[in-house]
Amino acid sequence: MTYLDLPISEIHAALMAKKVTPLELVKEALARAKADKDNCFELILEESAIAKAESLGEPQDNPFWGIPYIAKDNFSTKDFETTGSSNILNGYVPLFNATVIEKLDNAGAILIAKSTLDELAMGGTGTTGHKGITYNPYDKEHNHLVGGSSCGSASATASGVVPFSLGSDTGDSVRKPASNVGLVGFKPSWGRISRYGLFPFAPSLDHVAYFTRNVEDAALALTLLSGHDDNDMTSSYKEVEDYSKYLSKDAKGFKVAIIKNVLDSISDKTIKEKFLETCNSLKERGICVDFVEIDEDLLKAIYPTYIVISCAEATSNNANLDGIKFGPRYEGDTYQEVMKKARTNGFSELIRRRFVIGSYALMRENQEELFLRAQKVRRVIVNKVNDILKEYDFIYLPASPTPAPLIKGSSDKLSNEYLIADNHLAIANFAGLPSITLPIGFENGLPFGGNITGRAFEEGNVLAVAKTLEDITGLKGLSVLNKEDR
Amino acid sequence: MNFEAVIGLEIHVQMKTKSKMFSNGPVTYGNYPNYEVVPLDMAFPGTMPIVNKQAVINGIRVAHALNMTIDRELWFDRKNYFYSDLPKGFQITQNARPIGHDGYLIIKTSKGERKIGIERIHLEEDTCKQLHFNDYTLLDYNRAGIPLAEIVSRPEIRSGEEAMKYVETIRSIVSFLDVSDGKMEEGSLRCDVNVSIRPVGSEKFGTKVEIKNLNSLQNVKLALDYEIKRQEQILLSGGEVRQETRRFDEAKKETVLMRVKTDAVDYKYFTEPNIPPIKLSEEFIEEAIRTSNELASSKMERYLGFGLNEYDANQLIQNRDISNYFDECMKLGANAKLIANWIIVDIQAILNKEEISINDFAIKPSHLVELISLIDDKTISNKQARDVFNEMLTSEASAKDIIKKMGSSQVSDQSQLLNWINEVLEANPQSIIDYKNGKDRALGFLVGQVMKLSKGQANPGLSNKLIKEELDKR
Amino acid sequence: MKEVNKEVLKQAANNLLFDMSEEEYDTLLHEFDIILGQMSFIGSIKGVDEVEPMTFPFDVSISYLREDEAAKPLRQKDALKNAHDIVLGQIKLPKVVG
Repeated sequence: MTYLDLPISEIHAALMAKKVTPLELVKEALARAKADKDNCFELILEESAIAKAESLGEPQDNPFWGIPYIAKDNFSTKDFETTGSSNILNGYVPLFNATVIEKLDNAGAILIAKSTLDELAMGGTGTTGHKGITYNPYDKEHNHLVGGSSCGSASATASGVVPFSLGSDTGDSVRKPASNVGLVGFKPSWGRISRYGLFPFAPSLDHVAYFTRNVEDAALALTLLSGHDDNDMTSSYKEVEDYSKYLSKDAKGFKVAIIKNVLDSISDKTIKEKFLETCNSLKERGICVDFVEIDEDLLKAIYPTYIVISCAEATSNNANLDGIKFGPRYEGDTYQEVMKKARTNGFSELIRRRFVIGSYALMRENQEELFLRAQKVRRVIVNKVNDILKEYDFIYLPASPTPAPLIKGSSDKLSNEYLIADNHLAIANFAGLPSITLPIGFENGLPFGGNITGRAFEEGNVLAVAKTLEDITGLKGLSVLNKEDR
Repeated sequence: MNFEAVIGLEIHVQMKTKSKMFSNGPVTYGNYPNYEVVPLDMAFPGTMPIVNKQAVINGIRVAHALNMTIDRELWFDRKNYFYSDLPKGFQITQNARPIGHDGYLIIKTSKGERKIGIERIHLEEDTCKQLHFNDYTLLDYNRAGIPLAEIVSRPEIRSGEEAMKYVETIRSIVSFLDVSDGKMEEGSLRCDVNVSIRPVGSEKFGTKVEIKNLNSLQNVKLALDYEIKRQEQILLSGGEVRQETRRFDEAKKETVLMRVKTDAVDYKYFTEPNIPPIKLSEEFIEEAIRTSNELASSKMERYLGFGLNEYDANQLIQNRDISNYFDECMKLGANAKLIANWIIVDIQAILNKEEISINDFAIKPSHLVELISLIDDKTISNKQARDVFNEMLTSEASAKDIIKKMGSSQVSDQSQLLNWINEVLEANPQSIIDYKNGKDRALGFLVGQVMKLSKGQANPGLSNKLIKEELDKR
Repeated sequence: MKEVNKEVLKQAANNLLFDMSEEEYDTLLHEFDIILGQMSFIGSIKGVDEVEPMTFPFDVSISYLREDEAAKPLRQKDALKNAHDIVLGQIKLPKVVG
């Protein structure tokens, strides 16, 4: 155990007291990154990270000063190749930093690597990036998924490489893998954090999100990353708070709703029991926990709605990828041929299938019954969830129906099974709500998480109740480095 | 059989804002290729559109000038298609909710006034510029993202002349509002036309032909006149008009086939998810309208009020800068008729000869006004004024200074004048008798003789007065 | 709604400027069976067609507009550094017709 394994506030205290230097932290993080066996990285930024660490000078009283971190490779990083784990962007070196990268840089945080993702963030398994499968560090045999799309950031953070990593969350792309690797995964409200520089998948559902090893660090990160950005018209003007102050807020009196039919659809006994146990503990702390129901049909509608909206937006967002302005260029007799070769070779078959689905949903003859209808169901689902949140402060559910699934047998093909417990996290994307996953238990050595979703822009309360839950489970600061301790 | 033409126009107006529609990339014309580009203009991943306030203000002003209903909320859509000049693979435009809708425009044609309905005006962005060579094409992104306003008329135009007048009036509006240069030749105002014909009295529309890229007012008329005839001949000979896209061949003065239209392209429009609906407050809209420049039609009325005749007033409003020059002169207290005449005749001739804009004209309004006031109070003659004017073209000096320098100043010295007057009176005894007999004309004759004797240097006003005094003495 | 068959999907892929293998079209046809079935099920949910389509997660109307001020542009060299085949400071393509 080194300083790198501590909560950010404690690393910060050690930095301030000069017990450790940014350079020592960065070297340790780089050493761990280079020892990666799980295919977490697109790029390890050894040279620039060391240069940055050496340039920082005297400690500054800012919790992210000198803290090494990782960014998913769909955040634009100036002068560092950014591919979205897609061949179509091989060799693309951005000219500008994403706003969150800029904020972290200004705060003195040190980017040590860009992490793998499902190609263009369009997947949920961590198996579809151009570098192949990213593995779950809790299984040295490499039989289990880490989940996606933020697979590299999840896996590396769970391996103890860094205390904080950036991801993005369009359906559950941070909160689901967080469950699979025992991390805190937080997606604040839509508009709370600027998306400028995040490669878009489906802008109406996309969120900047991140992994930490405890709730306290999640609060620190939110305070740093939140706020309006003139480069993102959808970023909110709502006041940025000191979210850490909510960590000491008494959760007594909060009302929590459990969606009964989601829970009922889960067959994993360990998860169900552990989850209900945490519910009882919440009650003991003076929190009201009730069961509510949502029309089963609406729950079944989540997945197709998500697929139609996200694929439709994605096919348009990625129309700029044509090999002309950036990315690998191909020869051809016509401009169409040049673009067609770039797009055929650049996108995997999965991505191309998704684009055809999205494009079909947008066709004039189909829009009413596909894209617009999906947008209507979205509203019906959002209205229903907001109705629940009028009466309750939060919705609390297992983040996933199982611990990390096996790689064998998993598929990114569309399925006709209505796996509502596998898809409910997308509700928070539909409604733009703050939503946090944190570990609540283990099964056969694999972690699993609970998920708390609150009202839009009430991040503080979400963090407060998450802290209470974390206190109940005692599961914080997890990484594979300390798994033997448990 | 008699046919009538059904014509609708789509006009793209390129705005002269400082920055682009959705990025802060600079809008500067004529720079080296790819020198006016920021990341959004080349669609680098992760860039996001930010709506330009001035482009919205411009949209409101044009919509108002076209008597349109202005939407109180701005919504943008994506128009999805692939083309080599379209960096993002979609264009951000306003499909479902244009900034303005349901307006009209009054045009004046040789057959009188007509009211043409306008369906919509919406804001969008320009594509990048393609430079075509024999076997390759080059892409310049300087133009990518420049704000455009697209104005779509109702199919209520009936002739080439009407179409030309319609475009001319729109051009005048966007130019007077300072929204655009409105130069068709340079592509800052682009015009696509849809035309079909039908038997007079029929309510049914014929098959539409589209004519693209008409780059002058004259060509709008010529292309339509030709195309209407072409379609008439097809129908009269029992044929059918094909749905196709044509272009105007300037050399042959006829429209030629570009491509036969198949199914309409499906642009797969949907709401732009990166631009939330933007509320336009009443104050914002009112302010945009209140502070907008005066239109040609309003100036026309004002100029008639100054006592100008219709021809002169019309000449002045042909060009925004010229009318502004005239307004500037009027503010300084000029004689409207005199100044209009100088602008329309003398200045216009120089502008034409030197092919310059009045903004680059050497004589500033204040100097011109001074010159004209000197003519007006008869300090100098028209002939002298012309010499001074010519001198002013190459000098920055005021009229008075030039007059001094040229020594061409009128002689107002009484003794010198009296010398000339007495010499003239002695040489023209008959005129003195005529004057005494009440023939006022004689006085004019004598003044003329004095001017002649002085080689035009005598102050005519003062000479007149002194001659009268001398005559009364005799 | 447009009927889904291989031809329609090939046309769609062609319009999106990429090719797919025959097997991929079979996978895609199967996926369309699923998604269209699910979407038609959604159409039968009561009240769905009575609400307005939702683009944004919540009411996000704003009044912000960017002041019309130009930023410093990219250097031409930088703007083009990710592109290939540069001629006269521009990106070269095969001749674009029509």
